[in-house]
Amino acid sequence: MIEGFNFRVILEYMPLFLEGLRNTFLISFASIFLAIITGIIACAGRLSQWKVIRAIAIVYIESIRSTPLLVQIYFFYFGLPTLGIRIPELQTGILALMLNSGAYIAEIVRAGITSVPNGQIEAGVSSGLSYYQRMRFLILPQALGVTIPPLLGQAIVLVKDSSLLSLISVAELTRCGQMLTSERFMPTEGFFTVAFFYLCIYFCLHSLATWSQKKLIFREEY
Amino acid sequence: MIKFKDVNKWFGKLHVLKDVNLQVAAGEVVVICGPSGSGKSTLIRCINRLEKFQKGELFVDNFPLHDHSTNITNLRAEIGFVFQQFHLYPHMTALENVTLAPINVRKINKTDAVKLGHEKLARVGLSDKADSYPSQLSGGQQQRVAIARGLAMSPKIMLFDEPTSALDPEMIGEVLDVMVQLARDGMTMCVVTHEMEFARQVAHRVIFMDQGELLESGSPDQFFDNPRTDRAAVFIGKILTH
Repeated sequence: MIEGFNFRVILEYMPLFLEGLRNTFLISFASIFLAIITGIIACAGRLSQWKVIRAIAIVYIESIRSTPLLVQIYFFYFGLPTLGIRIPELQTGILALMLNSGAYIAEIVRAGITSVPNGQIEAGVSSGLSYYQRMRFLILPQALGVTIPPLLGQAIVLVKDSSLLSLISVAELTRCGQMLTSERFMPTEGFFTVAFFYLCIYFCLHSLATWSQKKLIFREEY
Repeated sequence: MIKFKDVNKWFGKLHVLKDVNLQVAAGEVVVICGPSGSGKSTLIRCINRLEKFQKGELFVDNFPLHDHSTNITNLRAEIGFVFQQFHLYPHMTALENVTLAPINVRKINKTDAVKLGHEKLARVGLSDKADSYPSQLSGGQQQRVAIARGLAMSPKIMLFDEPTSALDPEMIGEVLDVMVQLARDGMTMCVVTHEMEFARQVAHRVIFMDQGELLESGSPDQFFDNPRTDRAAVFIGKILTH
């Protein structure tokens, strides 16, 4: 079996793979960055006192979480042009990933904020701290520690989800595997290489997550 | 200083405060006791509006708390609150716990705040623990830091909600000593506690509550030795044999 494995073609296509890797990296980075902003805004909306804003946030979060990402990608890819909005594939892909991850991140952030015990808020209130001061000094610092590890977990999911963008012909990593398959009919070599690169990205993010888990979750010294 | 007038509060259908009338003068130390669920914690939590009530009037330092539209952040800064479960900020050192509100609410500069913080920690006997995190302190030490945190705001009133109930027996003394000292310094205090010794030593008045009603109010000796109501007598019997 191994003698049937063509390394030479992998090397030949290496520039393409590296470009795909770079694109996957850029797409993921842009998406997760925008998704964090979206998520924080959605979470603020979810916890808002105003019913209308809360309702909008809930509709957004729940409709994203209850539908498959592929459907969302196709919806933006095919649906937006029929509505008269024309944006290139790459941006469509980033938009879809951003909105998708944003909904999950909103829930991650909310879990972090609600994990801070009520007593902390009462103590802050009693000392005369304002809402923003309590957020800044008490709630966010304590929520951050429990939020970072699942956030990195979401980043890992997003990197893997970005492979779906190959279906709307974005030139990312998985797309390279498809090209090796269609041009040379070598799916094994193609997707083996693709998988290897995903593994590398995963390994980096996972190490970061493990490290942050040790570092950031508030140290409980016994 | 504090004036309750026919205060009523419901949690849903549960009537937790029934026509409560109570006045606390400046410099007075009032101990509030009663069986659990009698509304005593709710009563003192009303004083800085950790709980809102539906009917009646409450003035604190001449400020109307029954008017829910008013912003009471400034008033809260004048009232120290000590919780049963301490509620220290776990991500800050003891000193940072104490100086957070003075720096951000009172807007005093950092150097002065640190000096003030050390002063207050010294007052509760914890000069050497300024840089410790709450998780490195014992329960009694944590509660004393919480008291120092309240004192750092130079409050007009200190409220204590069962400050020793979550402590191991051998740590109760160190917290009570601080509170006794505070009472002798003339602080206005409302203390929910079952510590009879504390009440007898420093309280000017003992209030007894049961099922949301304020049943008795009298000097500690009168209350503990000659309770007027049966319910109070039963209650005192229970904490004595305990």
